[in-house]
Order: sequence, then structure tokens, then C-alpha cells
Amino acid sequence: MARVLYDEATRVYPGSTQPAVDALDLDIADGEFLVLVGPSGCGKSTSLRMLAGLERVDGGRIAIGERDVTHLPPRDRDIAMVFQNYALYPHMSVADNMGFALRVIKVPKDERNRRVLEAARLLDLEEFLDRKPKALSGGQRQRVAMGRAIVREPKVFLMDEPLSNLDAKLRVQTRTQVAALQRRLGTTTVYVTHDQVEAMTMGDRVAVLKDGLLQQVDTPLRLYQQPANVFVAGFIGSPSMNLAEYRVEGEEAVLSGGTRTRLTRETLKALRDEGTDRVILGFRPEAVEVVGDADKDHTTFPVTVTVVEELGSDAFLYGQYADATDPALREETVIARVDPTAPPSKGARVFLRIVPGKEQLFSAGTGLRLPT
Amino acid sequence: MSTSMTPRSSVPRQAGPDQAVRGNGHGILAAPPGMPQSPLEESSRRSRWVVGILLAVALLWTLVPLLWMLLSSFKNRTDVTSATPQVLFAPTLDNYRNLFTGSNNLGPYIWHSVLAAGISALLAVCLGALAGYGLARTQMRGKKHLAFWIISTRMAPIAAVVVPLFLIFRGLGLIDSIPGLVLAYLTFNLPFAIWLMSAFFAEVPASLEESALVAGCTRWQAFRTVILPLTKSGLVTTFVLCLVFAWNDYAFAVVFSGPNSQTLPIAASQLVTQTGIDWGQLTAIGTIVVVPMMLAGLAVRRWLVTGLTLGAVTGE
Repeated sequence: MARVLYDEATRVYPGSTQPAVDALDLDIADGEFLVLVGPSGCGKSTSLRMLAGLERVDGGRIAIGERDVTHLPPRDRDIAMVFQNYALYPHMSVADNMGFALRVIKVPKDERNRRVLEAARLLDLEEFLDRKPKALSGGQRQRVAMGRAIVREPKVFLMDEPLSNLDAKLRVQTRTQVAALQRRLGTTTVYVTHDQVEAMTMGDRVAVLKDGLLQQVDTPLRLYQQPANVFVAGFIGSPSMNLAEYRVEGEEAVLSGGTRTRLTRETLKALRDEGTDRVILGFRPEAVEVVGDADKDHTTFPVTVTVVEELGSDAFLYGQYADATDPALREETVIARVDPTAPPSKGARVFLRIVPGKEQLFSAGTGLRLPT
Repeated sequence: MSTSMTPRSSVPRQAGPDQAVRGNGHGILAAPPGMPQSPLEESSRRSRWVVGILLAVALLWTLVPLLWMLLSSFKNRTDVTSATPQVLFAPTLDNYRNLFTGSNNLGPYIWHSVLAAGISALLAVCLGALAGYGLARTQMRGKKHLAFWIISTRMAPIAAVVVPLFLIFRGLGLIDSIPGLVLAYLTFNLPFAIWLMSAFFAEVPASLEESALVAGCTRWQAFRTVILPLTKSGLVTTFVLCLVFAWNDYAFAVVFSGPNSQTLPIAASQLVTQTGIDWGQLTAIGTIVVVPMMLAGLAVRRWLVTGLTLGAVTGE
């Protein structure tokens, strides 16, 4: 068990000027479950492989515990990695696969068998120990890959999209199992995924990456409630946050037609400092309420419903601003959570109001969160 | 990898509808019984006939000369040269006996062939595996060109290199020696082995060796314990093909070998003399040359088939 530290770690692939991972700073506490998440090509896998020693570190340093591992080969890092395709050795039985790392470091056979059996019991793999990987189902193979990591009793677990080859239902089950297992073992874990739901449900903290740059690292809840910039705001949450650029008039942002939202003094000051009259305003689908015709006022805006998604526990309406004067705004889709027992019908015109205090404001120039 | 292994998935495999259809022996295009045959079915049946006939012709083309050689090697002098082909005759081992007695015993030739072909094939596989692995895993510019250049050296006709090689070998004192022949055979076997092995290594997912590296292996350990066992069929295929190429060589042997290193094909050619051809002994040598390679091919058939079709190592 150990703390993991990325200190301005940088990786530039040969023949490329743009770093794949650009001065990454991450301080992962002992026993923490940290998830690296981002769209494909954001550098999350590269970051993990740098920690594994499978990718060179071109700048900065990486430490595991007190030890600087920046230039150590993978075998000297005391880590275990679970690969996306599991990377099970096809010519070895499940037991040999799980005990492989112990055999390499010459752990006595008795001790090795004991640890393999223990892990197999933990993962419900006892009856498969003599089988070859190809005689296992996808879920079993995934567990063998986990078992191989556990048997090693490493300082850090590295997991590179370990669930992405499972079908949707099994993935959800395994998600909780992996998270529970990690809590139980208490081993520091760095987990890579492109699935933000996986990131939110599994991580103690989540680091969001884009284009090799760390956008924000925080607890899932804070990422959701206080995204540091427009990218994080749009990436975290499903359905995603409504984000659009609006004009500022006086002390208010003009939403559409006659709808206005009052901005705080701090926000206005920040906008003044930036010298702009544009602001990006975001609101989560659950941060709006549907209001009746009678209650409409200058804070409500009409939306034409194009699609209604009914999920049973929830319902989401997808619609268009009905009276937007700004042509760009007319293209925007508004998503709102509505009462699942009485969802509006397709084509209907409803009035929405952003729940006061639930709007999120970002600079139109830099995309950074504005003070409210 | 083993084809004899049956997957024992915990999820019972059901006989899917496609398997049921395939089971009736008419292929998946078969119409259900009682239905009129579709034009598609008709044409597929015809193409099967055509393929069958072509295969039969190819098989005869290949086997008849070999069979005739085998038969002739057991015939006496009159039978083998008889104007009407003799299929039924009194078999004799005289031809073989004559080969191993007398002044020009065949024994040393066999030994030379075994040594030269065996060592050169073994070296080609060992060096080819190392170089092929490097080639498969290196990320560099112009890798494709390098790979093509390596295999292109195999394409040069032997006649083009015989003279320069002869001069080099003479300078190094390698004429009429087994090491000389081994080296000569490596000139065509090594490029082939590198090229073939690199294709096999490229099939092994890189994550397998990365996993081994993380588990505590050095590169060499990962190569030996994980990658090599997975490319067994490749190693066997490469070895057998290199062995056959070297075993069958005549052009190099006729130039570079002497009394201390002459191989079987040379012995065969020595039976073609100005005073006549001893067909009996010639077919006996032919048999001795061909049979071991056929047996080797049969022995490793399982790996050869998977090896020549590649794709046998993904662990799925």
C-alpha cells in the first residue's frame, strides 16, 4: 500500500509536438480509489501506463510511496495491472495465470498455492483453477484478471478499462464488486475508464482529463455540483448539463425572448474584469421545474418538446427553445427531468424555470467557472 | 492452441439454428426439405463438383510421380527400364542395398544432409525468432520497408549469389565444410524465418508481454515464458519449412561441397553418369530424400496447419 504521486509528469509521443499527457499533477492517497476519466485520446491510459512503467516519462516524475519510480522498469515498481483485454496467458491454467507473478519472484510453491487459492475463494473461481482461459466466460476471465492482481499483493492496482469487455448488465454488477473488493483490500487503485457513470460510482475521487490536460480532480459529488469548467460540466452527468452561451444585459443574462436570469454581483464583476457581455450558463436537467401557464413570468421560458424519454423512475424531456431570438440558441437542445407519472407529450409547449441558485456560470472566453 | 481441447464453458452451448442447418450436409445455403432448390443452391452444388475435380487432379499430379518413384525403387533393373510400365512385380531391396555398399556408400551423404539442413534450420529458427520478435515489436519509421528488404533478399536467385559467396567462402576456408553449407543455407532461410516469425509475433497481443513485465519479468523472461510458448506453431512451421528448403538444396551444395560435405541431392546427381542412369538407385535415393520430409510434415501437421493460417494464438 502506498501513496502515488504524479509530479508534472509529461509524455510526448515521438513524432508529435502535442504532449499526450501534459504536466500531470496528481496526489493519490494511500488506499484511495482514483478514477481517471475522459474521452478517448485524452491521455488517461497513457497516464496509467506511465505509472506502470510501460510508457516513458519525458518530463516530471512519478513516485510510489517514498520511491521515485520515474525511470524504473515495470517489474521493480511492485504494482499489478488489469488490462482491458485481460491479457491472460492462453497456455496456462487459471491457477498458473494467477500464480505467475509469484512464480517469477520465486515465492515457494506452498505459499504460492495458498495465496492463489485464497484469491480464488474471494472471487468465486475455485472450480475453474485447472481450466485454460479460453474455457471461461467473459465474466470469469475478468475475475481471473482481478485475481492475478490480488494474488500479487502489490502496492498499487492499475486497472485499464477492465469492465469494458463485459455486457452491460454484468458490467454494472462487476462495478460494485470491484469497488467493494478494493475497499476490503484497502490497496491504492488507479482506474481508467471512459464511462463517466463508472467513474462516478467507483471512485473516491475522479480525475477528468482532456487533451492530455488534467481538468479537475475531486470527489464525484463535487465534480457534479461544482465543475471547474465547461468541459467537466458537460462531461459529468447523464443526461448531460444544459449549456449555452447567452448575452448579458445590465445585471441579467437574457435566456430567450423575454426570459432573464439575475446574475450575482461576483459574477458581474468577473465578467466586467474579463470585459465581455457573454456568459455560458448551465443547468442540470433536474435543476428545472415545469410551471403551469398561470405561473409563467420573466424567469420562465417556453420549450417545444421533441422527445420524451421515459425510464420508469425518471422521465426526461428533450426540447427546443420556442421563442429564441438568437439563431444559435434555436439549435440548442434543452433537457429537463420531468414528473415520470405525468410526462408532457411530444410536440407540446411547456414552460420551464431554472430552480433559483441551481444555475452554473462559466466564462464564455476561458470556459472556467465564474464565482456566484 | 491445442485443437484437441474442447472448450468447457460453464454456459452450456446450445445448438444454434445455424448449426442445425449445417448438420444436413448441404451447407448453410440448403433449402428446407420439400422446397424447390434455389438457383443459388444449384450453383453452389456445381461449384463444389468443380472444386472436387480440380482437387483430384492436383492430388494425382502430386502423388503419382512420388508413388511411381517409390514403386520403382523396389524394382530390379529389367522391371524399372521395361518399356511397358510394370505395376505388379517382384519387389527387391537390391537398389537400397547397393546404395549402402560398395565404394560410394550413401551413409556419409545422409549424415551431411542431416547436419547441414538440421543445423541451418535450427539456427534460422533461433535467430529468426529473435529478429522477428524485435521487428514485430519495434515502433519505428520505415519498419515496413525494413521487413520487405529482409524478405526481398530471399527473392534473389541463388545463381546470383553463388559466385560471390564462393569467393568469400574460399577466403574463409569454408569450402567443402558443413559450417559452410549451414551458412549458405542461412542466406535463404534466415530472411524467411525472420519474416515468418515476425508475422507470428505480431499476432500475439502486446498486452500479454506487458502483463508479464508488470508481473516482474525481464524482457527476456517475458519472451521466453509467455511469448515463445504462444508461438510454438510458428516455431515448428518455420523450422520444418527451413529444413525442407535446406534439405532439398542442390545449387549451393554442388558448388560449395566436396567429399567431406556432399549431401543427398549431390549423391543423386552422381548417379546420372555419362555411361547411363541407374534408375533403380536413383529412385531409391529419391525416396530416401523425400520420405523423411514427408514424415516430418505429417508429424507436425497440426502446427503446420494452424501455423500457415496464422491467427492461432489470440487465446480466444
